[in-house]
Amino acid sequence: MARQLMKQDQNGNRYQRPPKTEAEIDVALAQNITTLQQRATLNRSSPDYISSECLVYLIRDAGRRGDHPVMNLLMPILLTRCEANLCSKIPDDKYQNAAYLREEVLCEFAELFAVDSASENSEELDFFECRFNMAFSTLRIDIVRHEINCMKHVASFPDLSDSDEPTAYEDIFHRVSEAFRGTATPESNMSLRDLHKAIDDLPPDERQAVILCHIMGYEEESEDRNKTTAATLCGVTGRTIRNRLKRAATRLSRFKEDI
Amino acid sequence: MTPSKNPTQLRDVLYAMSLAKPIPDAEVLDDFIRRYPEHASALTDFAIELAMDAVTSEAESPDTLDETVNAVSPAVSRAMSRFQNRLYAVQRDLAHGLGERSETASIKNPFAVLNRSDFRSLAQRLNANSVFVSKLRDRLIDPSTMTDGFRQHVADELEVPIDVIVAHFAAQPQIQAGLQHFRSDQKPEAGAKQSFKEAVQNSGLTHDQQRYLLSL
Repeated sequence: MARQLMKQDQNGNRYQRPPKTEAEIDVALAQNITTLQQRATLNRSSPDYISSECLVYLIRDAGRRGDHPVMNLLMPILLTRCEANLCSKIPDDKYQNAAYLREEVLCEFAELFAVDSASENSEELDFFECRFNMAFSTLRIDIVRHEINCMKHVASFPDLSDSDEPTAYEDIFHRVSEAFRGTATPESNMSLRDLHKAIDDLPPDERQAVILCHIMGYEEESEDRNKTTAATLCGVTGRTIRNRLKRAATRLSRFKEDI
Repeated sequence: MTPSKNPTQLRDVLYAMSLAKPIPDAEVLDDFIRRYPEHASALTDFAIELAMDAVTSEAESPDTLDETVNAVSPAVSRAMSRFQNRLYAVQRDLAHGLGERSETASIKNPFAVLNRSDFRSLAQRLNANSVFVSKLRDRLIDPSTMTDGFRQHVADELEVPIDVIVAHFAAQPQIQAGLQHFRSDQKPEAGAKQSFKEAVQNSGLTHDQQRYLLSL
């Protein structure tokens, strides 16, 4: 039976692995290392494929028992999965020093296991046993954010007039919101991917305004001073938020008819 | 040196937020900001990145993360080396706590007290990156090729006496550069040290960073 997770949420409840992962771990613990290694390298569509959550458990378990050969067999498999993800998430054409950033995330993730095997109080990897992909995304985003500190998209773009006319950009963002709600058809998937990339490539302040207002659902501003809005989060006026949205809309206008 | 304020807690809060909802919305972000107002700015930045990340992942073809590749790439191999080095260090520290001592271990490593966040912060202050600072920590650079200005710069940023830095760099390497993995239960052997210039040029530093470090 799998060891209990120690990490607690804000309410003091211990995090729980999904039942599917618990069952997978129980099966894996009864298997020898050769079988586990074979299963870990299977294609994801195979019924015997070992999830990354389960792999994390097995590696940690081996570390706690001082079973370094098992760690050394399973770790490269897990890291290889992570590397594939990093190549997609930290592409060379988006980040200067992308290769360094990818390696830094990979190395820091690997070091978590070393610390974990030596300390009973190390609980960071508990998150990876619950939902590996989300935890790994968190680690990556946090490290990249630190490393880049202030990512500068130096795209110069003519500033637009300060008109407060909302109709200037309402239409495109209505389409953006619809697209992010997942109503896209397979035919429009290509356009949707292009749209995601275009939003990702916006200058930081415009990108921030678009995501806060049209993906996360914040109001641009509010008369209620106690209400959190895109303007309060960014520390600017509502007018500035609207101007950023307007500039973003102009950049994204080529998607107006496609999605 | 000023250690960062509660770095572990921030990382934990970020993990918790990512597990709260696949795509963070205003409700989730507001809740976390209410609970951790001291991290409001970091949480907002993180939520934006996570939201963008989540929607981008939805649009991508599946299996990106769990892609099965059997060959071990050079990057994975280097990550395994970092893992082995760290494993050796933490085990040595444990043994040290139990009374075992060696000549090298008795020389204070001023980098050993840094947590990950402090480590990255130091890298930033040195105008370098974590790879380069790892080489300093692990004594992989030939001290005779370092300039006095550089050593002083490190001492200043670590806020330790220059003697400590000189002694640290002069001690035997704790690990072997480019160590191949799969041997964590053995003490890694010391390999040839890089010259300072080689280390600067082969750590993924920008040209500006290289120019700066070599000018010290």
